[in-house]
Amino acid sequence: MGKTADLLPGTLDMLILKAVSLKPLHGYGVLLRIRQISGDALDIPQGSLYPALYRLEHRGLIAADWAQSENNRRAKYYTLTAAGHRRLREETAGWNRLVSAIGAALNTTPDEV
Amino acid sequence: MFQRIRSLFRGLASRSDFETGMPEELRFHLEQYTDDLIRSGMSPEEAARRARLEFGGMNTVKADCRQARGLHLFDELGRELHYAFRSLQKTPGFTTTALLTLALCLGSNVTIFAVIDAILLRPLPFPDPGRLVTIFNTYPKAGVERDGSSLTNYYERRGRIPACSSLSIYRYGTTTVGEVGSTEREPITQVSPGFFSTLGVGPAIGRSFTDQETTYETDDVVILTDQYWRKHFNADPHVLGHRIRVGGFPRTIVGVLPPGFRFLSSEARLYLPLASRPEDRAPSQRHSGGNVIQTIARLKPGATIAQAQAQIDTQNTTLEADDPQAKMMADAGFRSLVVSLHADHVAAIRPTLVLLQAGVLALLLIGAVNLINLLLIRANGRIKQTAIRQALGASRSYIVSEAVVETTLLTLAGGILGLIVGAGGIRLVAMLGADRLPLGTQIAFSAKLASFGLLAAVVIGVVLAVPIAWFNLRSHLTNSIQSETRGATTSRAAQRLRHGFIITQIALALVLLAASGLLGLSLERAMAVSPGFRPDQVVTGQVSVPWNRYPNALARIGLTQRLLNEISHQPGVTAAGIINNVPFSGNTGKSAASVKGHVLRPGESPRGHYSYGVDGDYFATMRFTLREGRFLTADDSHRSSRVCVVDEDFARYYWPGTSAVGRQLFEGSEPGPDSEAFTVVGVVGSVKQAGLTDESAQGAVYYPYVFRTDDNLYLVVRTGIRAEVAGRTLQSLVRRIDPELSMNDFRSMDDRIADSLIARRSPALLAALFSGIALLLTVIGTYGVLSYAVTQRRREIGVRIALGARPGQIRTQFLSLALRLLSTGIVLGVFGAWFAGQAMRSVLFHVRPSNMPILGGTAAVVALMSVVACLVPSQRAARTSPMEALTEL
Repeated sequence: MGKTADLLPGTLDMLILKAVSLKPLHGYGVLLRIRQISGDALDIPQGSLYPALYRLEHRGLIAADWAQSENNRRAKYYTLTAAGHRRLREETAGWNRLVSAIGAALNTTPDEV
Repeated sequence: MFQRIRSLFRGLASRSDFETGMPEELRFHLEQYTDDLIRSGMSPEEAARRARLEFGGMNTVKADCRQARGLHLFDELGRELHYAFRSLQKTPGFTTTALLTLALCLGSNVTIFAVIDAILLRPLPFPDPGRLVTIFNTYPKAGVERDGSSLTNYYERRGRIPACSSLSIYRYGTTTVGEVGSTEREPITQVSPGFFSTLGVGPAIGRSFTDQETTYETDDVVILTDQYWRKHFNADPHVLGHRIRVGGFPRTIVGVLPPGFRFLSSEARLYLPLASRPEDRAPSQRHSGGNVIQTIARLKPGATIAQAQAQIDTQNTTLEADDPQAKMMADAGFRSLVVSLHADHVAAIRPTLVLLQAGVLALLLIGAVNLINLLLIRANGRIKQTAIRQALGASRSYIVSEAVVETTLLTLAGGILGLIVGAGGIRLVAMLGADRLPLGTQIAFSAKLASFGLLAAVVIGVVLAVPIAWFNLRSHLTNSIQSETRGATTSRAAQRLRHGFIITQIALALVLLAASGLLGLSLERAMAVSPGFRPDQVVTGQVSVPWNRYPNALARIGLTQRLLNEISHQPGVTAAGIINNVPFSGNTGKSAASVKGHVLRPGESPRGHYSYGVDGDYFATMRFTLREGRFLTADDSHRSSRVCVVDEDFARYYWPGTSAVGRQLFEGSEPGPDSEAFTVVGVVGSVKQAGLTDESAQGAVYYPYVFRTDDNLYLVVRTGIRAEVAGRTLQSLVRRIDPELSMNDFRSMDDRIADSLIARRSPALLAALFSGIALLLTVIGTYGVLSYAVTQRRREIGVRIALGARPGQIRTQFLSLALRLLSTGIVLGVFGAWFAGQAMRSVLFHVRPSNMPILGGTAAVVALMSVVACLVPSQRAARTSPMEALTEL
């Protein structure tokens, strides 16, 4: 796991929303999808994935339904709700603002001061 | 937020789905991951191990998931409830005591609150009831506090008081209803046309009365109550236009009132127009209320009682300008008062009820203090356990919520028992005659009452938890585990708290006991008052005399003579008489009489007196005492002799020190030019018309019945036969004489007197019951705390006895602690009782608020009971065996 980055606090929820927004996924699928879309750079502690999923479901940002998995097993699939879409948009915008602000701050050279 | 709550409820509702779904989901994850690992070349065993390792502790994840769904709170609550339940179960003695205490204390509060709610709090069942007022005339200097209103008042005020949107009058009465031979006496109310619109509740079918229906020629209409309609007309919707015989006359039904309609405490089955003649409405009749007709009015929105009062005062002043009686009425202190209808109706009983509520609240306080003490003792017993749990990581909020859950579980269970006790209590107060109080029939156990009781239980639970949580939070590991069983600072603070509570308890119990003693003594003194006659073996009943069959005094006298003649020949009857109003009937209307030759002194006003019309051997039947001259007899009525008998109060007022016989007086406040005087032929002892505690000594005049006939009379019979049996005989006898007559309200005179004391006896009994419970709780509390102190210091006592202390010294030590608490409690209690007595002044009778025997006696009783409660544990302390005490623990 040496090459993976630690998750910043609060970003797990955002990543889950993003993963689920692309396609309905079961829990394990969410894990794989986050790994995949982050180019294997982000690894989620597996134990904290499910509490996060339940929390998001509880807040109505994602919805869950039991369905058949690709290998014909019963699995719980998560989809993004309308509220989840809204939240994801807000969080993405907020994140981008933060990143560009911090990036600008870190790229400052002495003569710009 | 809404989403979350919905999810929480969904989560709760589908809790089992959740609990089966979650492990399945997690298992699916693990298996998928294991499969993926195997596919990447790992051995199956290694893959399974790796997957479990990376996933983390399954139980932790599950708990985290539950927490994420907000379900952990319910898990915790469930766990705490379970724990509280188990720990209460483990101490059955404590739990039983606590539950009984709560059941009794909450039950008595529920009972009294039910009464207070029905009588004082619940608004009258009319739209916007706060705007309903009553207006009555008062002549305080003439000894007439309340005289109702006159017809003249009504016709002069109607529509002329700007603050009132409507104003009406009513008169209670009874009359015979039904066909010949099957008539019944029914309570009725006569009302002015605007009566129902003033109340804001009109007939459900048909119409109200009209202004045209207020004369004797046109008043042959009637409005039925829903109850009468259902009973006699089977709820026939086409009943309008039917005729029923009321008071001997046929009347056309014009309306039916809605179900549940009830005006104040009225039992009326029928409503009739209040008819009158033009001369009854003349200015000369302005002050002839006689407390028979009452006024109600509805204030305009925004208008106040003070505005209405000012307008009535102004109108009275204007009218007095050309009133020849004005001066006399002003001397009598005449005023017309505007008072809230509800407040006025319950005014007499309010102080007693408020007092009782204060009493049961004090009882609840005693009970709560007792519980806190018991709970503190329990908490102290578990001090190490609590400390260890805190050390092992129980959070402060957990310690607090644990205490709250435990006490609330306890008080809620006690509250449910209390509701049962309360329901029984409501039955008890009904048995004690609460339904005869104003609005008393409304007293009932209701859902509102139950929720009030349970809410109170929860509040008490939370309040009780405060000291327990405080105590538990202060018990630190080092302190309590290192220290001996006593001596740690927490337990010393708790001990002070417990002692303070014991003192409070003793003081409160003393206050309650003294207050109930004062009430009891008042009752005893009231019961010891002689009514002025011999009530034993006297049976009374009322007869309505229809106006159309007995239109004049002579016809009525003919009837009374026949009645008396027949009755006196009945077996077992020793004497019989007739009067228009018996003592203790509840009718306390007075009328004026003017004494020939009596000149009003400056500042003296004409007085109102009880005026009776008597026939037959009324005085002998009631065993009046004859002070002078002779009684009236049937002959006086028969011959219409203008004679009268006065009572000793009357004689003493007008002819002090001299004989009254031979003096003359006139009916009414001012003799007219053609009025004839009545000559006094005798003086009798005075009787208590308004009740045993009435001491106004207003004076009374007894006229021959022929001069005072009425459409209602009382038969008074002295007989050894029981009231109910005698009643039946009398009723059939009355029917035989005239099938149109009917008779009811049979009661022995003893019963009438007993009933008149209901507002005194029932509160005294209840107060005695409450203070008995309070005393019991105090004894339990004192015993518990002292007994605990002994247990706590067992080792110390053991050491001291081993070192040679005599048992007597040990006993004295504990007894002196008890006596210190007791004496402080008693001193505070005596002060409290003195203040309580002052507050009770208005309900006491011939008892001073600081009655020494009561104060001393109750202090002695409380002291004795508490000492007995202390003796047992002190004795146990003295008998401590040093070997046992030192070897245990």
